[in-house]
Amino acid sequence: MRYVKLKKEKIKEFLLALQDYGELYAPIKVSEKYFDFRKITNEQVDEVVLDYNRTLRPPRRFFFPEKEVLFTFNSKKVEMYENKEAFTSEPVVLFGVHACDIVGLRIMDSRFIDDQPDPYYRARREKGIIIGISCLPDEYCFCNVRRAEFVDSGFDLFLSEVEDGYVIRVGSVKGHKIIDATENLYVEVTKKDSDDLTAFDVKKSKMFTVSGNWDSLRYTLELNDEHPVIWMRESEKCLGCGNCTITCPTCRCYDVKDYPNLDGETGVRVRIWDSCQFREHGLVAGGHNFRPTKESRFKNRYMCKNAYCKEVTTAYCVGCGRCTYFCPAGINYKQNLIEIRGGI
Amino acid sequence: MTMKTTIIPEDQKIEIKEEIKRKPTIGVYALTSCYGCQLKIATVSKIIEIADSVDIESFYMLSSASSMHKKVDIAFVEGSVSTKKDLEELLEIRKNSKTLVGVGACALQGGVQSWNHGDKNYKDLFENVYGKSKIEISEAIEAKPIEEYVKVDFRLPGCPPEEEEIIYFISTFLFGSWPEEKDYPVCQECRFAGNICLLIEKNEPCLGSITTAGCNARCISYNVPCIGCRGPVPNDVAWFDSLAKVFVEKGFTEEYIRERMKIFGSHHPKLEELLTKVFGGEKK
Repeated sequence: MRYVKLKKEKIKEFLLALQDYGELYAPIKVSEKYFDFRKITNEQVDEVVLDYNRTLRPPRRFFFPEKEVLFTFNSKKVEMYENKEAFTSEPVVLFGVHACDIVGLRIMDSRFIDDQPDPYYRARREKGIIIGISCLPDEYCFCNVRRAEFVDSGFDLFLSEVEDGYVIRVGSVKGHKIIDATENLYVEVTKKDSDDLTAFDVKKSKMFTVSGNWDSLRYTLELNDEHPVIWMRESEKCLGCGNCTITCPTCRCYDVKDYPNLDGETGVRVRIWDSCQFREHGLVAGGHNFRPTKESRFKNRYMCKNAYCKEVTTAYCVGCGRCTYFCPAGINYKQNLIEIRGGI
Repeated sequence: MTMKTTIIPEDQKIEIKEEIKRKPTIGVYALTSCYGCQLKIATVSKIIEIADSVDIESFYMLSSASSMHKKVDIAFVEGSVSTKKDLEELLEIRKNSKTLVGVGACALQGGVQSWNHGDKNYKDLFENVYGKSKIEISEAIEAKPIEEYVKVDFRLPGCPPEEEEIIYFISTFLFGSWPEEKDYPVCQECRFAGNICLLIEKNEPCLGSITTAGCNARCISYNVPCIGCRGPVPNDVAWFDSLAKVFVEKGFTEEYIRERMKIFGSHHPKLEELLTKVFGGEKK
């Protein structure tokens, strides 16, 4: 792999240079507690936060938007017209993506590119640029037990913090081109930097509050289906607001709706993020509902995130901590998983 | 595969054609309300397009030629039933309309005039407000949602409803379809909008999680916690109990929580039952 080093004082120049590659989005502080990926203009590069905990909205929204027009239609002519926006839009340059979120995007890819290729998602993803950044965990994080605390791929560039700057790993051809075009920003990586990277890793691994590997949750949940105390007790607290799924970096469910125009003939078909925590998610024609109770909907998320993955080598949960951090009812997903595992 | 065709007799064919050619007729009516829903409908940006697509038989705010005795395909009714006259008019509108759409918080939830529902004897409440004076036009009765008296086919919530939804309702009718009910909360649209959560971060008594979506989290986007004007999420997924527990943890009193949830939810059949789960039997 190719490595270069970016000194801390050059970060601003680096961010300005990224503007040439598309629409730049990066984490900024949006309130006392929260961060969010927002569009960054040249004047705003100073606002970019490099050591944020987690963003309110997950990175998937840049490739799989909350609401998206799939096509417009004319029911009289029986014709439909593809929405070309995904193919013509500016590429998204997403700066400051944590390793867990990069794994999250790979999980999204597994369903939207590998499985049933979705042209809109693929177009945005292929032209998009992902620039990762190293991070230290807080008490909500458990990416280590989800094997998502480090990534070897899924990014164009990855910035790992060292004492006086960032060691940049180059992960793609696009990444090489960016580095080539901005060569004057970088210096050689030294032995000291390499030692710093190891020290960062050691420090990071000591900060996690859980250790080991939680892949066995699949067995616990699938083979030992009954955890009635948890489902009942915790779903009682649940507001059914859907925050956990909307902020999740790997939720893929969507609903499709038609919005006709006033001419009675034409209209648009829109896809919109859905949530398994909503009643309508399990509702099918004829009025049957696969998940008629709050408890069954609550349980579904735990099952999906821990036991339903068949496409990639990790669970659908990457341990980012958003569903706990952004739960208005204070439901602690991480703690509940520990309880399901029998306290370990 | 061959398509199965149905032969329509010549005489019926003409009748069907006429039916299709005719523009749908609509009426916009108001019972006891602020007339805000009518104002909203009258001022949507596509009102000219709407006026071209339908025949507006009645629209009380816009025309004195309006009448509830005319037959219409779709009736849009705002306002709560707060007088005997309201009730008579509502029954007449229902009788003359094929489809009835309840519009706004008053028609659907009884409005703020229902805030006290279940707390006070109506006679005492009336005396509190009007003293011994009498209302001449009609006898006042306790303010109730129209659904307590007639069948409501579709519910267009909001105080007032959103332009986007007004157009969506009329468009789906014109398309020969029907508007889909939203049974998920405001939180969904609030997260979509990238707002911070006022409940988590500012400990504000936000009702977004029990309130029907559709406003794109209008108030919260201006840092004002949701007051629930669009009414509790339908189909029994408004979790008053779970939210009340969160409010209690944040230091709000039972009285405050009940009052707040009742502003636009006093007629909800599950409200008291779910609050009782949290606060126990007797109301304080």
